[in-house]
Amino acid sequence: MINTARGILYFVALILLQVLVLNNIHFLRMVTPLLYVYFIIKLPVGYTSIRVTFLSFLAGITVDMLSNTSGMHAAACTLAGFVRPQIIRLFIREDLADNIAPSFRSFGSGGFVRFVVVFVMLHHFSLFLIESLTLFDLPFLAIRALAGVATTSILIFIIEAFQKNSRRSDDQY
Amino acid sequence: MRKLLDFLINRRNWFLFLFLELISFTLIYRNNAYQQSIMLSTANVVAANVVSAGGSVTSYLSLRDKNKELIERNGQLEIEILRLQRRIETMATDTMRFQAYAGDSAIRFPFATEVAKVVNNSVSYLANYITIDKGSADGIEPDMGVVSERGVAGIVSTTVSEHYAVVIPVLNPKFRLSCKVLGSGYFGSMSWDGRDVQYAKLDELPRHVEFQVGDTIVTSAFSAIFPEGIMMGTVSSFEKQRDDNYYSLTVKLATDFTRLNTVMVIKNYHKNELKRIELEARGND
Repeated sequence: MINTARGILYFVALILLQVLVLNNIHFLRMVTPLLYVYFIIKLPVGYTSIRVTFLSFLAGITVDMLSNTSGMHAAACTLAGFVRPQIIRLFIREDLADNIAPSFRSFGSGGFVRFVVVFVMLHHFSLFLIESLTLFDLPFLAIRALAGVATTSILIFIIEAFQKNSRRSDDQY
Repeated sequence: MRKLLDFLINRRNWFLFLFLELISFTLIYRNNAYQQSIMLSTANVVAANVVSAGGSVTSYLSLRDKNKELIERNGQLEIEILRLQRRIETMATDTMRFQAYAGDSAIRFPFATEVAKVVNNSVSYLANYITIDKGSADGIEPDMGVVSERGVAGIVSTTVSEHYAVVIPVLNPKFRLSCKVLGSGYFGSMSWDGRDVQYAKLDELPRHVEFQVGDTIVTSAFSAIFPEGIMMGTVSSFEKQRDDNYYSLTVKLATDFTRLNTVMVIKNYHKNELKRIELEARGND
C-alpha cells in the first residue's frame, strides 16, 4: 500500500519535473538529464516482470506525450524495465524482501551504483539509437549518450544520498 | 495443449514486452511519416494545459531581455515608418506617380500575423517540436510560417487542434526552406544537421555566388510560407560540397531556440491561390 502510494507520488513528481524543468535544460548544448527513469529504478524489487515492464511503458509514453517524441521514450523504457529484474539479479546475489526498493542501503553502495549506471546506460543508449534511426552519426551519438548517462546517474545518486540521511530510521531504506 | 498453455503463460512477460515495443515503434514510425496524432502530442488539451502551466512561469523569467528586444525592434520599425513617410511625401509632390503608387485599396496586403505564446519547446532531440497556444479556432492552419522577434522559427505542422498547434522548428530534419544570401538572387536549401542548436546548414548554393562570412541569410520568395527577406541568420563558415559545384554554408541562426517564448504565425492569404495555380500548371504538362 505504502509502495503504491509512493510509486504514484514518484511518477507524478518525476514526470512533471522532467517535462517542465529538465526538458528545458540543455547543458553544453548537448546534455538533457532524463531523471524520470528514477521512477523505474525505485520500483520495489518484488514486482513481477510484467508489472515493471508495464509501469515503465506507462512512464515512457507519458513523457512522450508531454514532449512530442511519440514512442521514443516508451520504447526505451519498456526495454529497460523488461530487463531490470535480470540486471538486479546480476549484481545482487542475496535474496531481498519483496517490498524493498533499490537504494544505497538495500543494495550496498557498490551494488546500487553499478545497478543504476547499467540501467541508465541501457535506457539512454536504446533511446539515442532509436532517435537517430534517420540521422546516423555514431561518434556524436556516443558522446551525447555517455554524457547523458553520467548526468542522469549523478543526479540519481545525489537524490538517493539525501534520502539516505533523512530516513535513516526507516527500515525500508 | 496444456503444455502449450503453460508455455504461453510462463512467457507472458515476453509477450507483453513485445506488444508494448510494437506499440512504441508503431508510434515512432507514424511520427516519422509526418503525420503526428493529436492525441499523443502536446496539441492534446490535457497535455497542453500541463506544459503551458510550466510555460507561464518561465515566460516571466526572460521578461527583461524580451523587453529590450522589443524596444530595439520598435526603434527599427519607427525608423522604417519615417523612411516610408518621406517616400510617400516625395511621391505626393508628383500626383500622377502617387496615384500609381497607392494602387487599389481593395487589394489587401497578402500577409497577416497572429501572435502566439510558446507553451512547450524542445531543443535536446534530433527532431524537435514547439507547441504554441493558438489553433484552428484562431485561424492557424498547417504549413503557415512561424517567426520569432529575431527571425525564422519554423513551420506549423499538420498537428493543429482547436486551441493549440505543433510547430516544426528549424531544429528538425523535416524542416526545409529555400533561403538566399541577402542582396543576391541565388538560393539554397536550409536544413539542420542535428548537432548544434545555434547553427544550421544552407546547401546547394551555386559556387559562383559571392558572399563573405558574416553576410545575412534571408528567406527567398520561392515559398508561399514566408514573405521574402525574413531574417534567417548569418554566415559563419562555408565549404565546398563534394561535387564541387555548390557551396555548403554553416549559418548561425538568428533565433535563439533555447529561450523562445513569443512567436508570430504568418498567414498568407494568397497561399491557396498560389498552390492551386502551381498544381494546375503541373497538371497541364
